[in-house]
Amino acid sequence: MSLNTSLTTAVQSLNAASGALQITNNNIANANTAGYTRQVAVLQAAASSSDGNSSLGNGVVLEGYQSVRDELLQTQIQQETQAQSGANAQLSSLQAIEPTFTTSTTDIGTEMSAVFSSISSLSTNPASSTLQQAVLTAGQNLATAFNTASSTLTAQQSGLNTQVTQDVSEINQLTKQIAALNPQLAQLKATGQDGGTVQDQADQLVLKLSALTNVSVTQTDNGETLTTGGGTPLVVGSQSFALQTTTGTDGMQHVLDQSGDDITSSLTGGDLGGTIQTRDTAIPGLLTQLDTLANQFATAMNAAQAKGYDQNGVAGTNLYTVSSSVSGSASTIKMAITDPALIASSSDGTSGSNGNLANLSAMQTTKLASGKTPGDAYASLVYQVGSLTSSANAESTATTASLLQLNDQLSSVSGVSINEEAANLITFQQSYEAAARVVSTIQALFSVTMSMGTAAAE
Amino acid sequence: MRVTNMLSDVQYAMQQSQQNLADAEQQVSTGLRVNNLSDDPTASANMVTSLASSASVDQYTKNVTSVLPQMQTADSAISSIVTSLNSAITLGTSGASSNGVTANKQSIATQVETVLSSVISQANTAYQGVYVFGGTASTTPPFVAASTTYTSSQGSAASPLTSSTALTAGSVTTISDATTGESMTFKAAAGDTVATLQSAITSAVSAGTLSAGTTATINAHGQLSIATNSSATGIVVNSNDEALGSMTAVASTKVANAYAYVGNSNVNSVQVGDSLNVATNISGSQLLTSGSNAIASLTGLITALQSGTSTDIGTATAAVSAALSAVGQQRIPLDNTISQLNSQESYLSQETLTLTTAQTSLVGANIADAATNLSNAEIDNSAVLAAAAKAMPENLLKYLQ
Repeated sequence: MSLNTSLTTAVQSLNAASGALQITNNNIANANTAGYTRQVAVLQAAASSSDGNSSLGNGVVLEGYQSVRDELLQTQIQQETQAQSGANAQLSSLQAIEPTFTTSTTDIGTEMSAVFSSISSLSTNPASSTLQQAVLTAGQNLATAFNTASSTLTAQQSGLNTQVTQDVSEINQLTKQIAALNPQLAQLKATGQDGGTVQDQADQLVLKLSALTNVSVTQTDNGETLTTGGGTPLVVGSQSFALQTTTGTDGMQHVLDQSGDDITSSLTGGDLGGTIQTRDTAIPGLLTQLDTLANQFATAMNAAQAKGYDQNGVAGTNLYTVSSSVSGSASTIKMAITDPALIASSSDGTSGSNGNLANLSAMQTTKLASGKTPGDAYASLVYQVGSLTSSANAESTATTASLLQLNDQLSSVSGVSINEEAANLITFQQSYEAAARVVSTIQALFSVTMSMGTAAAE
Repeated sequence: MRVTNMLSDVQYAMQQSQQNLADAEQQVSTGLRVNNLSDDPTASANMVTSLASSASVDQYTKNVTSVLPQMQTADSAISSIVTSLNSAITLGTSGASSNGVTANKQSIATQVETVLSSVISQANTAYQGVYVFGGTASTTPPFVAASTTYTSSQGSAASPLTSSTALTAGSVTTISDATTGESMTFKAAAGDTVATLQSAITSAVSAGTLSAGTTATINAHGQLSIATNSSATGIVVNSNDEALGSMTAVASTKVANAYAYVGNSNVNSVQVGDSLNVATNISGSQLLTSGSNAIASLTGLITALQSGTSTDIGTATAAVSAALSAVGQQRIPLDNTISQLNSQESYLSQETLTLTTAQTSLVGANIADAATNLSNAEIDNSAVLAAAAKAMPENLLKYLQ
């Protein structure tokens, strides 16, 4: 074994240690970089060589670096991110709706009680114009409460509708960016190299996409193939497929794939999925309940009013104006009369009779067409709002905790530990120092050898 | 497991701790366990129903407060009427035994006239603009001075009404008879004429609702004239028929000491409990003119004292006695209702308390528990922050020299 061979081995050690130090340095620099996957140096013992009867090692070779990934954890995190974003989208809207149905001085329940209280009060002196006006005022306040609740729901729905367009726009931007990275990933894979920061970048983009909608990721030779939960392609190789939005016959934004097919109902995860679910299912359900209550309440009160006579002895006319169809009843309900004398208090045509007020009061405990009294129907609506919000909150809390745990696990595998890298620094520093010492020693030996020849000549 | 970075866990722990602290603070400051519907959807829904019940109970309480004085006013008026009738009986007894001295009987008759005026005044008692003995026709005095003849404002010699004159559909003409104490109400239908009204009056006479001899004719001035016979104690006529115009009593036909009841027999009721309604009025007809007609009996006593024999006075006095007994009977249900309202007031007060307690149980926070939770949340939050401050800065680099 010659000194030159030893020198080569020592230089290889220096290179290996130097490379490992560089990787460690890179890890430390990116310790707080979102989505960064730690890299480890791949050190391989160099092929040994034979010297007569003995086999000698030829040192160490830095083969390269490898990112420490866990594809399964990444997939789980993407799925949990979809669930969390979806829940958060629903929670945000429902929390904005909650106050409208929470007991206050102006909620529907309070105003409905005020209507029946005012009617009962009028029964003590049916000819009193003050008490008659109080009934009209209470009636209008109730109509206003219905109008407000309806407009709150439709305003939320409108906001969510706008959100759909924004989410689709973001999705399209992200899929374009992922498609741009795919050729790089494909080339790295083809040459047997680690995906490194390019893969990290792609993973981060997919994670952002998962926050927006439900996606499936498949690793291929051409990079990552992304599809929606319903199988609609979003990215294939270097090509991205943009989604579109269009206004449907229901006035809402519908999401179309590149072929123009409506895929709205298949988008169930992420912010877009949660937004669509709230816009198209939760809020319409609440609106239907609200409209049904308004329509049936107004119809029942009008029927009771028609059974009596007003202060002029004329048969009672409608108390409320409401649409003939249930849809839109809560937004359009209003008082049909403004003259207090038109309240049909009388059952015998005299102004002092309160006989028909009993019919109006009875509406409080009479079941509407829905099978519930007005109070019970409203209580059901209140429960529904609370239940939906509570469920969304629970889902949000659970997915947040689950994501934290998954991210901890991923960090455990792929995250940079400063303590670990600090230890690696020392290790590779000592390796470098040792290798440098070897080089120095070999240099000294060369000098001695060179001196041997010169001394002999002298 | 490799622990690389505690930051996310620390942030999560801090957030949870602060959320718990905020929740505890809210419970203590509001006194409520349920501040949002989502805190407890079932309790929130039940609260809606309970608050509606509270509102009803509140209104029942106000109704009791509102109707009780009216009923007490009515009771006080009846009490005065009873006193007056007792006075009339005493006067009548005195008159029957006044040894035929006309001057004495005339003097007593004048005193009975005063009694009658007092009874009419009490019968026309109003409480806050509501005539308490008018039935549901409570916006005008129920007892009105009677005359034998009323004429319409419509019709003239040049343009007389006739039996074929059309009446206004839906209009109402009422004839109240001071003798019978009853009223005939005629509501014109489409196609009805004056002849129809005349026929209705004839039928009412046959039925005894109106005194014999009550007719409707077209007088020499072309007006409709509704009159009763001169020996009767008179009628009162009201009409809102535009074809007839207003009905006015002929001044010279006013009957002294005669009053007719122009209210109705309908009764209002007010709800003062979930299953409790109370009648809030007694009609003047039920109290004073149906059966034993107290008004007519006083009128009869006056007439007997003015021109009758002792036997006649005695008979008239006995009629007043019978009327007194009838009035006394009518007072019993009124007094029972007043008593019931007083009891109901106490019950409603208790019911309010029961509902409030139930509502507190539904959504209220146990203050002691809430205070303890707040204290624990504060301690927990401090511990989390202290642990974070201690653990986060530590790493190996700090110790390498």
